Amino acid sequence: MTPSPETPETPESPGAPDALLPTASGARVRAVLGELVRPHRELAAAGFTVLAAATGVGLVTAPALGRVVDIVADHRPASAVTPVAVLLVAVAVVQGLATAAGLSLVSRLGETVLARLRERFVERALSLPLAEVERAGTGDLTARVTGDVSLVAEAVRRALPELVRSSLAIVLTLAAMALLDWRFLLAALVALPVQVATARWYVRRATSLYARQRIETGKQQQRLLDSIGGGATVRAFRLEDDHTERVARSSGSVVDWTLRGVHLVLRFYNRLHVAEFAGLAAVLAAGFWLVRGGSVSVGTATAAALYFHNLFAPMNTVLVLLDDAQAAAAGLARLVGVADRPAAEATGRPVPAEATVSAKGVEHAYLPDRPVLHGVDLDLRAGERVALVGASGAGKTTLARIVAGVHPPTGGTVRLGGVALDELGPDATRRAVALVTQEVHVFAGPLADDLRLARPDASDADLRRALDRVGALGWAEALPEGLDTVVGEGGHRLTGAQAQQLALARLVLADPPVAVLDEATAEAGSTGARALERSAAAAVEGRTALIVAHRLTQAAAADRVLVMDGGRVVESGTHAELRDAGGRYAELWAAWSGSRTAP
Amino acid sequence: MDEALTGRRVLWGAVRGQWRDVAVSSVLTSGHQIGETLVPVLIGLAVDRAIGRGDGGALLLWLAVLAVVYLGLSWGFRLGAGAGERAGARAAHGLRTALVRRVLDPRGGAADGRLPGALATIATEDARRVGAVNVAVFAGVAALVAIVVAAVVLLRVSLPLGLLVLLGTPALLAAGHLLSKPLERRSHAEQERAAHASAVAADLIGGLRVLKGVGAESAAVRRYRRISGESLTATVRAARAEAWQNGTVLALTGTFIAIVALIGGRLAAAGDISLGDLVTAVGLALLLLGPLQVLAWVNTEFAQARASAARIAEVLASPAAVPPGDAEPARPVRGHVRLTGVTCGTLRGLDLEARPGELVGVVAADPADAVALLRCLGRERDPDDGAVELDGVRLASLDPGDVRREILVAPHDADLFDGTPLDNVSAAARLDARAALTAAGADDVDAAAPVGEGGRSLSGGQRQRVALARALAADAPVLVLHDPTTAVDAVTEARIADGIRALRTGRTTIVVTTSPALLAVTDRVVLLTGGRAADTAPHAELVDRHDDYRTAVLA
Repeated sequence: MTPSPETPETPESPGAPDALLPTASGARVRAVLGELVRPHRELAAAGFTVLAAATGVGLVTAPALGRVVDIVADHRPASAVTPVAVLLVAVAVVQGLATAAGLSLVSRLGETVLARLRERFVERALSLPLAEVERAGTGDLTARVTGDVSLVAEAVRRALPELVRSSLAIVLTLAAMALLDWRFLLAALVALPVQVATARWYVRRATSLYARQRIETGKQQQRLLDSIGGGATVRAFRLEDDHTERVARSSGSVVDWTLRGVHLVLRFYNRLHVAEFAGLAAVLAAGFWLVRGGSVSVGTATAAALYFHNLFAPMNTVLVLLDDAQAAAAGLARLVGVADRPAAEATGRPVPAEATVSAKGVEHAYLPDRPVLHGVDLDLRAGERVALVGASGAGKTTLARIVAGVHPPTGGTVRLGGVALDELGPDATRRAVALVTQEVHVFAGPLADDLRLARPDASDADLRRALDRVGALGWAEALPEGLDTVVGEGGHRLTGAQAQQLALARLVLADPPVAVLDEATAEAGSTGARALERSAAAAVEGRTALIVAHRLTQAAAADRVLVMDGGRVVESGTHAELRDAGGRYAELWAAWSGSRTAP
Repeated sequence: MDEALTGRRVLWGAVRGQWRDVAVSSVLTSGHQIGETLVPVLIGLAVDRAIGRGDGGALLLWLAVLAVVYLGLSWGFRLGAGAGERAGARAAHGLRTALVRRVLDPRGGAADGRLPGALATIATEDARRVGAVNVAVFAGVAALVAIVVAAVVLLRVSLPLGLLVLLGTPALLAAGHLLSKPLERRSHAEQERAAHASAVAADLIGGLRVLKGVGAESAAVRRYRRISGESLTATVRAARAEAWQNGTVLALTGTFIAIVALIGGRLAAAGDISLGDLVTAVGLALLLLGPLQVLAWVNTEFAQARASAARIAEVLASPAAVPPGDAEPARPVRGHVRLTGVTCGTLRGLDLEARPGELVGVVAADPADAVALLRCLGRERDPDDGAVELDGVRLASLDPGDVRREILVAPHDADLFDGTPLDNVSAAARLDARAALTAAGADDVDAAAPVGEGGRSLSGGQRQRVALARALAADAPVLVLHDPTTAVDAVTEARIADGIRALRTGRTTIVVTTSPALLAVTDRVVLLTGGRAADTAPHAELVDRHDDYRTAVLA
């Protein structure tokens, strides 16, 4: 479960992205690819040379077969065939070896470049300012790192070697035909205009059609997950027929678009057949005239016809792969769009010595005319634990995120240990103040690896101590393989409360002087919440802490309570003071503790 | 559902349901294959009869024949493959719909022990694979036809040469297969490891906010670099294995053609066969590899489809969680709920009653008790012992769908569906949706803006309040709420408590919660400890007299 933070007034929902992340221009894609290939120039040169050699050697086959025809046509003895057959075997072996070597080299080049690109993508993606990611929605980033990476990877794995081989085969075969007699080449080129026109016709239609197909497939997947994942709710509200109908509609639309794609491809082949026939007829006719004119032998004409027949396969491969290549290019542009962002600078500024927090006149508006905070002042002494209380939409979450340095405020300043946040820089801010929200994410992999994200050099004993402190050591050690148990996506499933304790253990390991907790205990359900509150209290022990609380027990345990309303701090004091003051907090406490009478 | 449903029956059902399209496509694509086989034959004939003899009339004749063959093969493919693909897509659609219907069936049981993602994969990928069997069928038929035609032509040319080609090509493919087997296995394992990098990247991006919260970005980047590097090593190894597999097959094929040329050439030189026959034989030897490879592909396609069909059959035939019932619920429904001696999950002989129109709070010290109680009330399972009754009728004797029409158990982790909050609330509404939204304290939510994937455009608190509004709007005779306000602030929670109280006047309502604000508005509260009712009294009274209660609710 990963609820978005409680910011009802923000326009930053993934459902309505108003500023998608950048997509790179063709020139930038080429430039970045060039940059990534440059260190592997020799590998690239070797791969293409060896593959070209392999294809070249393979071209000996057709004339050799033509030679056999000539031997028969000239009524030479049967034994004359044997050396040609030996040559054919040699060609086959050399071609096989060279192809294997060439493909290995080209794949290694492609895979290495892809790996460097995805590493750079992840690095830059993780250093994007959170405000920007949220404007675009994390969905966009996730789609790029899964969909686009696999699109490009598939192209590198499947299309690239095939494309290189087929293109080489086409070029060299046409060259070989020209060597037999240049007029054969002219005849073969009769097919070319048809093929070019067909390819352009196809790509024009295919791009939008496949884009639509992907959208429909994505919608269907979403519908399925929506209805199946919410099965309990569907059954509880008797919505079975409604939801089956929804999925059927969505699936019907996928069938529809799939068949449109199929028909497009079939029409495409239809046209390519025309090209094949035209070219083949022209080559046969040319052979006829050339043989009759005495320019070439029957064997040579046979070789030319066989060459052309052999061109069908690579031609079709190249034309079909054009489509993949185009999809991959679009994916690449989206990857480079992010990978091309400037690298994050490490300012290397030290964390301020004093763990005080001071906010002066903080204002914030997500939309220009809808201010959420109005000149909030806030002072936290070192080691003080302050609870932030108020109704939804009072601005608690926004204030918490501004104090944690996640959002720069539109007005006012926040200082940590006397240093303004923008002076401190993102790097040192992250080390000085941690933010734990109700959004829990368990990183896939061993539990220990998840924890070590917060402190890579932590020993096993450190991990155990951190878990113990937040009360999680018991269940962690009871996991099938203890701290080595694979958790998260595809692994052992942790409960919401366990995941939240894990988040608190990460906070303990990161060990920042200041901690901001935003409803870090909300998702547990009412029974688990108390245990989590104990964990949270232990995790912030010894730190300056700002705690957004919706359970007032957390407020009661804090050193001081701030009550927010309409983007302002309206009350401040200890729990006892405020409870007895008869103000807003007293009212809240009465509602909370149920000490009022039922209406 | 049919208990004897097997993968085999699912598979054949997928073909049988589309037999017209499959038959049409088999005939037409066979025509296409025959045409493809004839092309090299025609090249041979043109060389022999026209080019070799310098006969212009013959050239025109054979080019015309070639044109006719191309016309036939091209349209045969277009129409045939079109029909076959249609059969595949439609069969998949049928399976997908049947799967969803079974998963959502009121009797339940199909989703138990299966993750939604896994079920969605079965409904998409597995259904697609099984549907694709229709494509494999027509392609396989066409390939067989092509092989037979090629065999007839070759054997007519020359018995020894024909036999060489017909026995040699399968042997060649088998050899290629045998050689590539260990490579394939290795390559598969390594590709799986390679896929790992992409999963890790998506996972890290998914946890971006969490990483930033504790400043773990650079640690995450270092970890990703390492995994990406390992993945690269694995992929490169896999690609190399595949490259050598390609090279081996290429070398074997070339060698085989050399042997055909050697023997065919000697036969032709000796005058046993004509020049055209030689060209045809060499051409067909190359061409036969295609249909034979198709047969091998059909084989793997069927193997995969069988596995997929078995998974589909397993879901379709999964036993129902509760047996259907045939009793009629009492009319009109008064909403009198009574549990007597219910033992179910962690419940140990629970007695509990909610009289018509009562608002009852239930506080469970152990969350497992709450879950078991909710499952029994919604008849998601039947108690092992004891009875749950609605107006004196045992739930176990009613159809689960009928039970839920009368008793709405709104789950704590309620899912919102694609659409707007208003769509969600209206889906099963008998009351005005706006009034329900107001009562649930959700009047600040934009009711007309899409809730996004899984309701993620809303905050956790907003989601919870919209889900509560939906449950209230359904106006069920009996409403059971489970922790409906855990993500809601104290002020709003008190407002919601009043809203629930007002909207449910005269209707039976059970609220399973430990929230004091909600419990304060109930008529009375039942405290569950150790799977049975430990005490029952109004909230204020229990706060005063019961220590366990105070700890459970107020600590």
